[in-house]
Order: sequence, then structure tokens, then C-alpha cells
Amino acid sequence: MEMFLMGLCMSVFGFGIAAAAFGAATRSKSPNSAVQPELPLVKAVAPARFFSDHVAAPPAVPLTVSPRQVPIEVLLLQIENHVRMEQAAAEVFIAFPTQARLHSKTASPFVN
Amino acid sequence: MKHELLNGLSSAEVEQVLELGTRLIVPSGTSLFRLGDSADRLFLTERGRIRLTLPMHVRDREEDIFVEESSPGQTVGWSALIPPYRFTLTATAALHEAEVIALPREALRAYFAVNPEAGYKIALNLAVVIGHRLQLFQTIWLREMQRTLEARSV
Repeated sequence: MEMFLMGLCMSVFGFGIAAAAFGAATRSKSPNSAVQPELPLVKAVAPARFFSDHVAAPPAVPLTVSPRQVPIEVLLLQIENHVRMEQAAAEVFIAFPTQARLHSKTASPFVN
Repeated sequence: MKHELLNGLSSAEVEQVLELGTRLIVPSGTSLFRLGDSADRLFLTERGRIRLTLPMHVRDREEDIFVEESSPGQTVGWSALIPPYRFTLTATAALHEAEVIALPREALRAYFAVNPEAGYKIALNLAVVIGHRLQLFQTIWLREMQRTLEARSV
């Protein structure tokens, strides 16, 4: 019985070593193995080029509307609304001066 | 119409001061005075609204940017009583025509010389108007400074 178990263990152990050796042998023979050292380099360069190209080129569809694209009439109206909101905030502070009121926030798009 | 500049004056004094002035109709969009003009008249807004603006460069254009609005009863153009007697803003009638009473500086001075008590009350009222403008703009300036500092520290 003991001999049988010992033989079984040796067989399993030997099978394991054989499987590991087979796996190592097949990995080293893979066609990608020769390219692998260059892959990190390619991967490191590719994203940088991707981003640099896309920063320089204008996006096909703008995600946000820049202030430059707003018609000047709209921009002037926004400035006027900003001034009015700031004046209202300042009036509140002058009537009841506290530090919180001095730095109270408004809904002006120029400060948000 | 109750004018802020004439607060505390008797009705007789109010009448005397108003008689010094001339009623003017300012069509919509027309300037009452422009930045840098010689300031020899003070204006009491009777009707409509007067927009006070300052020039600002917006997209390579010079635009008059809204600063303040004068409603009926309020005073416009107090630079007429304060040296160097030059307007530091541009005043324009807003959407609708406005009506103002123009009070010449020399006529006011002559009246103050004869009626110093009324002159004193008007001077105090003028101090309130100027003081309010100062408080308003120092508050707005400080708010902007705070935001500038916060933006830089990000």
C-alpha cells in the first residue's frame, strides 16, 4: 500500500514537472515572444502621439461651447447680468455687513 | 416726485432748487453725457431710467459696459459738484425715453451761498449718494479680488 501511494505521488509529481516544462517550452516558441520586448515601447509611444495629435487638431465635435463662440450680444448681456448680481450681493452686504455676505456666491456664469 | 438729493429740505426749498433747473427729455439710447465730458450740470432723474456705463474692450471692440442704473428720484452726474468736474461714466437713456432735471453747478453754488442751510442738507445728501457708490464698488472690488486669489491658488 505504501509503495502504491509513493508511486502515485511520484507519478503526479512527475506529471506536474512535465506539464510545467511543456508550458515553458510552448511559451518560448510563441511568435509573439520575439516582439514582446518592443511592446512596452510601442505602447508608451502610441498614447503620447495620440494625445499630441489630438490636442493640436481641433475636435470634430466640440464638447463645450467656448466663450469665443457666444454671440457678442449674448456676452454683453451676460456681463450686464453679472454686474447686476454683483451689485445686488454688494447691496445686501452694505445693508447687513457680515463676512459671509461679503463673499456670498451668485449664480453668475462668470464666477461659476 | 421725491428726490434723494433734496431729502430734508422744506417744500419751499425744494421748489426753489427745482426752479434752478431745466427739464430735459432724453430719447431712448441717447447719451445725457459721456465719459470725460466737462461736468457743469447735475441731473435728477424724473422719469425713465438712465444707464451708466464704462467702456471696455470686448473681442477687440470697445463696448459700453453696464455699471449702474439710475431710477426716478435718484441723482446722476454728481461730478458736476466734485473737482475736477469731469464725468467719469457715460449716461444714456435706457429702453424708454427718460426725463431729467438739469441743475447747473453755478446756479446751485449761488443758491447755496444765499441759503447755506439748504446747501448743507444737499451736501449731506450728496455725501450719502457718493458714499453709497464708494461702498458698493469697494465691496464689488473686494469680491473680485477674493475670486482672483482663489483662482490663483487652485
